[in-house]
Amino acid sequence: MDAFLASKRQFLDWLRHTAADTETFFPQPLGEASFQFARVRPDSPLRLEDWDSGTPREAFRASANPVPPGKLLSPPGETLFRFRRDPDGRLEFFPVLDDAPRIIAGIRPCDLHAIHLLDGIQSAGVPDPHYLSRRGHTTLIAHDCLQPCDEHCFCDAVGALRQRQGADLFLTPMEDGLLVEVLSEKGAALVEGAGFSPCGDREARLAWAEGQRARPFGRPLPASPEAIAGILAGSGASPVWREHSERCFSCGTCNLVCPTCYCFDVSDDIDLAAPAEGRRCRTWDGCMLPDFAQVAGGHDFRPGTAARQHHRVARKFQYLPRQMATGSHCVGCGRCGHQCTVDIDIYDIVKDLVERAGP
Amino acid sequence: MSASPLVPFPARLEASEPLSERERLFRLALPAPMSHRPGQFVMVSFPGVGEAPISIACAPRDDARLELTIRRVGSVTQALHALEPGRDLGLRGPYGNGIDTALLAGQDLVLVAGGLGLAPMRSLIQALLARREAFGRLILLAGFRTPAEALFRTEYPDWTAAGMEVHALVNRTEHQPWEGQEGLVTEPIPHLGLDPGRTLAVLVGPPVMYKFVVLELAACGLSSEHIFVDLERRMKCGIGKCGHCQIEDLYCCRQGPVFRLSDLETRREALA
Repeated sequence: MDAFLASKRQFLDWLRHTAADTETFFPQPLGEASFQFARVRPDSPLRLEDWDSGTPREAFRASANPVPPGKLLSPPGETLFRFRRDPDGRLEFFPVLDDAPRIIAGIRPCDLHAIHLLDGIQSAGVPDPHYLSRRGHTTLIAHDCLQPCDEHCFCDAVGALRQRQGADLFLTPMEDGLLVEVLSEKGAALVEGAGFSPCGDREARLAWAEGQRARPFGRPLPASPEAIAGILAGSGASPVWREHSERCFSCGTCNLVCPTCYCFDVSDDIDLAAPAEGRRCRTWDGCMLPDFAQVAGGHDFRPGTAARQHHRVARKFQYLPRQMATGSHCVGCGRCGHQCTVDIDIYDIVKDLVERAGP
Repeated sequence: MSASPLVPFPARLEASEPLSERERLFRLALPAPMSHRPGQFVMVSFPGVGEAPISIACAPRDDARLELTIRRVGSVTQALHALEPGRDLGLRGPYGNGIDTALLAGQDLVLVAGGLGLAPMRSLIQALLARREAFGRLILLAGFRTPAEALFRTEYPDWTAAGMEVHALVNRTEHQPWEGQEGLVTEPIPHLGLDPGRTLAVLVGPPVMYKFVVLELAACGLSSEHIFVDLERRMKCGIGKCGHCQIEDLYCCRQGPVFRLSDLETRREALA
């Protein structure tokens, strides 16, 4: 596949130009301190300035993007189907699949890794056509990180830093701009006519970038993800769960900002102007919310914050890796720890478990 | 079939009859026969209100009819209870593993149902009685709180006549007429004369029932490989995606809801 060189200005102009035809998302300022993946408009403030230092800060910072880009593939409140009931009581159902083309740019390796894991989950067993339709019509532009985005990052410790699979275009910051690698047919079609310069020394440039990469990269963990899965399997009685959940008040923020959380609830909306018609919507749900495992009638199959915390951590490091035969489903983005209002950090929990498990 | 497994198809309510104060039996006409196993469930929609997982209460049949027992316990089931015959509800499924009756062939079977658990158990009972000669002793222990809550009471004589030992129990008769026994569903177990070498047990009931029934069965020599339990969980999809029914690394909707007890012993969440 091809590789190109582009200046940052050239890339952003091209992205704006592309956004005129295809709905395009890129990290943009949200208030003073935060960023969000928002739709690119002709006057959108797109910034890449800190790439001068080889460090994709600002717009590309993970913690500054509380909501991960993969959530665009399962938007809150998405319509699954519409229904209509006629006066005789006959029902009709009309499936809704989103096939609008979209581009998401500014995706870091941890978030790309998360989307790759979600692709696996949504394709496995009974595939979810709502996710897969939207995903199939979405082009992903990801980029490498040569420096950890903030002090919460531990993506390298969980094997997410080197993710490339799933991206259609992959950018690497260079001294003189961006290396643009084409990783798929979709990516090739997108950059055709972009006017980027062909790159003849891709390998040398990748080697240069590798030399710039911080070492160690982000926070280290004292055990591999595989070893952590093993430790978790025997951790049911550990006091760690209680200690790290005493101050949790079950707000679900950790689920909300997690790039690999995908649990959902459904609800029906009725058209008030035509009460015989409506739609079923899917909304995000989170296993840390108190009623997540509660059945009609009131019995809660996972009562208490400690049990729910255990479930959340085990799902990332033990259950899903085992079910899907993958590595860790925690991608080390650091969002949950950063955004938690009472400073509960999945990194601290895992580190504590490993250290108490002994050698 | 729809383009999405999350989209129901219309099924017509032919009749609904009360079984108790809270439960009704729904007889549905489907657009096509549903091939299911005992122990499987369907997702039932009342569009505009929502969707709920409901166990199938009849044996697999080839006439495009389905029977469900629905307890009025939340907004969806309340709306379904008010649905008039002749009108449609939404259905999708069947979901879950159910129980493979071929695994039960030649064995003595103890079926223990508590309360609404008799609804999914009825699916198994009908399937077993349809091939009565393929199995050894068939013993049903059905427990309820009061006679007014006893489900499918009029069918016990038919089941007995078809070759099943039926023990129906209530915790207390409350001065209502009751042709069965008074006591807990565990009480007859020591007196059944079970042969642990050729006996399998299937349990469907509230979580609290399992612990005590398993203790009694273990005292008769049954090991956990020979006990199946049918678990209930919150479910929003039925296809292993919504995350609600997860029991540690298992999805109740996919690997369950019928589990071998031996597969659950290391999973602390399963029978909590």
